[in-house]
Amino acid sequence: MKKILLSLFISAPLWVLGQGFQVNLQGQKQIGMAGAGSALALDEASVFFNPGAVSFLEKNSISAGVNPLLFKSAFQQKGSNITENVQNKIAPPFEFYAVWGPKSNKWKLGLGVYTPFGGLVDWGETWSGRYSLTSLNLKAIYFQPTLSVKITDQIGIGAGFVYNYGDVNLQKALPVNFPDGRSGKATLEGTGSGYGWNAGLYIKTLSNITFALVHKSKVITKLDGGTATFDVPNSLRSSFPAGNTFTAQLPLPATTTLGIGIPLSKKTLLAFDASLVQWHIYQNLSFDYATNTSALADTKSARNYRDGSSFKLGINHQATDKLALRAGVGYALSPVEDGYVTPEAPDADRYILSAGAGYSFTSKFEVNASMFFEDVKSRTQKNIESGLDGTFKTLVYAPGISLTYKW
Amino acid sequence: MVGEHRMKKYIINYFIAAIVLFAASCKPEIETLAGKTAGQANFSKYIAVGNSLTSGFADGGLYLEGQKAAYPNLVAAKMATVGGGSFTSPFFTDAQANGSGYLTLSALVNGTPTLSNVTTNLAYRDATHLAKYSGEIQNLGVPGMRVDLAFAAPYGAANPYLERLLTDGQVGTVSYFQYIQGRNHTFFSLWLGNNDALGYATNGGVTTDATNVLTDKSTFALLYTNLVSVLTAGGQKGIVATIPDVTAIPYFNTVTVAALLNAAKAINPAAAAIYIQTGNGSVRVATSEDLIRLPFQSSGLFGVPDANKLPYGLHPLNPIANNWVLDKDEVIKVKDYVDSYNSTIKSLATSKGLAIADTYAYLNQIKTGLVIQGISINSSFISGGAFSLDGVHLTPRGNAVIGNVFIDAINSKYGSTIPAIDVTQYRGVKFPN
Repeated sequence: MKKILLSLFISAPLWVLGQGFQVNLQGQKQIGMAGAGSALALDEASVFFNPGAVSFLEKNSISAGVNPLLFKSAFQQKGSNITENVQNKIAPPFEFYAVWGPKSNKWKLGLGVYTPFGGLVDWGETWSGRYSLTSLNLKAIYFQPTLSVKITDQIGIGAGFVYNYGDVNLQKALPVNFPDGRSGKATLEGTGSGYGWNAGLYIKTLSNITFALVHKSKVITKLDGGTATFDVPNSLRSSFPAGNTFTAQLPLPATTTLGIGIPLSKKTLLAFDASLVQWHIYQNLSFDYATNTSALADTKSARNYRDGSSFKLGINHQATDKLALRAGVGYALSPVEDGYVTPEAPDADRYILSAGAGYSFTSKFEVNASMFFEDVKSRTQKNIESGLDGTFKTLVYAPGISLTYKW
Repeated sequence: MVGEHRMKKYIINYFIAAIVLFAASCKPEIETLAGKTAGQANFSKYIAVGNSLTSGFADGGLYLEGQKAAYPNLVAAKMATVGGGSFTSPFFTDAQANGSGYLTLSALVNGTPTLSNVTTNLAYRDATHLAKYSGEIQNLGVPGMRVDLAFAAPYGAANPYLERLLTDGQVGTVSYFQYIQGRNHTFFSLWLGNNDALGYATNGGVTTDATNVLTDKSTFALLYTNLVSVLTAGGQKGIVATIPDVTAIPYFNTVTVAALLNAAKAINPAAAAIYIQTGNGSVRVATSEDLIRLPFQSSGLFGVPDANKLPYGLHPLNPIANNWVLDKDEVIKVKDYVDSYNSTIKSLATSKGLAIADTYAYLNQIKTGLVIQGISINSSFISGGAFSLDGVHLTPRGNAVIGNVFIDAINSKYGSTIPAIDVTQYRGVKFPN
């Protein structure tokens, strides 16, 4: 069984889309609460959710989790009675956190490695939108060393430096035909990096109601020397030279989150997060080729994203000393405007539903599991640039599990 | 520790099972009306009446791949979901798949194409006659067919594409008009009349025989009415299509006066003008409003000096001959005839309650350029994707695009929901590897 899991990951080391490209799977407990939890000092995942809350964690801990994710998108061309589905590929957004600080001190160090953005869609080589995209595999892995300080018993602040390793592979068919009738193909592949930061403020009021204000900066990820491979008939080779390279940049947006945590009882916590995702920086997707020809100009495709936002409500109930149960609901507003929906991010407003459970085997060892579901609304539109005309509908399923060791 | 390990294993197993379960079920669904109803129409037996465009003629020939991608065949396949029956066509056999032979693009050097003839696996039974086809036919498209010649029985002997469909007894005695009747159809398409104007235009505005005469406007109206009358005699519903502007096709837009002049200047910077002989015999400097036929490109005539060392097309005493040029006045004349034919077609369709595929308007849009499902389509020769290597007829991609024009018009007229053709599944011009 373990072998199968491994081979799944190896054969498809791919990521998945969230809102736009945002993946909302960064901590098993918080996922169980629909992604809310910036105002809760629940666990080491606060490194991501709110560095300010890290100093309020009672224990040092280390955890690792994965959320095998199925992004099930469907497309129906305008006027068609055929629904086309993306291929079933499992993307594994993962998270790793470590928090350490001397006991009874006012500061803690943290490290987070997580995947806040990414995209995996594989529509196959024959689907009707293949001249827009056949597959996209986009990964962004953030490494975030963090320092958190408890200023008073009520206030914690924290900040982390973010290094992003990005990796993109984009493939599409070209509408030129070989003698046997098959289409040409373009593959753009490259890696890049970017920098940013993540800072948060955590306030615990005397009534034990908690507040959070967190800002995660934008991270402009630059790709240099990516390879651009064009599979075209030889008679067109001079137009699509071999060994071409490109530069591109993908702006990953800043997110500002306001959170509130309310203890309903000694055993039950309510968390609410409202986030503004500043997608407006994603105005264009540009590819600058090292060699241009009359048929291969640099491309600058308008994306014109607006800011997106999300509202998430979660509940954490300590059912027994060892067992915690969680549930959450959420709603997210898409940053993608009509006319700009693409098969790389067939985005629309979405509902979020989640459930989770945690079990402490010992005081040191804990397992958390979650189930995350997103229902992305059906969206019918015609892309202004590509003319791709039809309806997208997407469902996202992500079961997840993490292991935690505390001391 | 052993127990812990086992617990981990259980949990992992559980999640794998959960993933597999979700993969197998819970697919996103998209509702559609397409493919649900025939509306007021009955597609159980569809026949397609027309010329080369209807037959699937492409790349200067009729061959199996083109026949299979003919717009009526693509439309009929989609009609199947709303009560359409089988649709039969006079396909060439696989052994004779190349039919009449056709043009391929054998080289493309610096944007200059070299076209070659396919000469294998042809379907000729002798030097000029194609292998006969017998059996039920619903794609009744005959390359070269005109509205006027549809009523001329002797044309069945002269036109090899009609001749192959007729029995020996019918050849020369049965007209196309008679041939299309008695087929018990429930629905029809009629896209005919292009050649009544195009035959004249593609001969440079020179009339030498019955295939390149401009059909008189009132004759066209009378005969077209007769055609529609027999096709609707049993109260059948159907669709007629307008005739495209001849200037919307690459045949007249590729070898431009400006391109010729640039080519001349590249060799002799002193070249100042292109000279043409017009329809009335006069010689003058060509302008952008004079259209030069596509085959002039490969004719090997341009710039060649005559006995007096005057270069062809570059000197008033050695102009481009009348038959290579559809001059400005001839363009106006052809447009006037096409407009007249189209108003006949439209008013007749309206009075008979038929759907209209306005291919005239649509091909004018393609001339400007469209982006359809990620594919740029325009009327540029070779690169435009819609027109085949003869510059007149459609590629499979062009047929798919036009097929959707028919489907949209049928659906909107009769309330049917024939599904759209997926244009992306059809090729443009094949490029040599």
